[in-house]
Amino acid sequence: MYFLSRTQLIVALGAVGLALYVLDLVRRRRLSEEYSVLWVLCTVTLAVLGFATPVLVWLTDLLGMVWESSTVFAAGLAFAMAMLLYLSVRMSRLGAENQALTRELALLRHDLERRCGTGGTGDRA
Amino acid sequence: MTTSPRVLVVIPAHNEEESLPRTLEEIRARAPGVDLLVVDDGSRDGTAAAARRAGVPLVRHPVNLGVGGALQTGFRYGMEHGYDVLVQLDADGQHDPAFLSTVLAPVLEGRCDVCIGSRYVSRTGYRAPLHRRLGMLLFSAVVRLAIGRRIADTTSGFRAYGREVMRVCQHDFPADFPDAPLLIALARRGFRLLEVPVEMRERRAGRSFYTLGKQLYYPYKNLVASLMAWLQRPA
Repeated sequence: MYFLSRTQLIVALGAVGLALYVLDLVRRRRLSEEYSVLWVLCTVTLAVLGFATPVLVWLTDLLGMVWESSTVFAAGLAFAMAMLLYLSVRMSRLGAENQALTRELALLRHDLERRCGTGGTGDRA
Repeated sequence: MTTSPRVLVVIPAHNEEESLPRTLEEIRARAPGVDLLVVDDGSRDGTAAAARRAGVPLVRHPVNLGVGGALQTGFRYGMEHGYDVLVQLDADGQHDPAFLSTVLAPVLEGRCDVCIGSRYVSRTGYRAPLHRRLGMLLFSAVVRLAIGRRIADTTSGFRAYGREVMRVCQHDFPADFPDAPLLIALARRGFRLLEVPVEMRERRAGRSFYTLGKQLYYPYKNLVASLMAWLQRPA
């Protein structure tokens, strides 16, 4: 196993460390499986690019990059962008779901108050 | 003998404790035959208490959802309680209930599905600040491009909606701001829009929904939402 630079080694080891941490988060149920997919893909890709130098060199040529390190950073950046977009989509959906629940709750409370004949004072409890 | 159509006036209210009582009073005096609903959109003042004192049915959002969110709650309520027509009217006193029948009549007579009470159709006293007028022109043009007809006052919150519109909008509401995007979406779904002239007054109290930050964000968001409403395949 040969490394082109110290940076490559740092990225490779960092990726392995991050992968282990992500898996541990899933194990402790702090991160749902759904969200772990992109993280695992990202860390595994970076680790492969870090340790398998022939693959990195081949990919760098394929993409027309000048430096191998650029390939690694480009991959990392691509994953970061994908993750951000994915989170934005999820946030939008959560927002819509949240709004629907809020509405449902408000309508239910209205029904309940009407049935019980209690309107309250309008003060926030 | 057919039963007369049931009309619900929905008043979205966000921190409107000062102007809400007068507005409710006025509607009751002007239009005794209609039912009222106040949608308190997460107010932190005595808006809910004011509605209760007036004995008006009240739905309270625990958090602020915005004008569109409040209106959609009105649509849900209107459907659940079997109303035929829903009128949207601002709490701040800008909308004179004297024009309620003007906005209501075209929907009741089946001449349209959405009737918009407009400041600009005829010469009414209203003069908006320049940046607002530019915005109005822009979104009027956007709506015209999208649906092929002119709606002068796309931001008017004084509107009447028929039951079919209520049915569609209770689940499928296109935007946070119920302005140009909503009109485009409704027209794209085959609903007939009509604009009638009404006079609007100065707001009595409280702040406009459109604060400074939103005034910058609003045009962008409204443009994007309008484009999307136009692109969406009608369900």
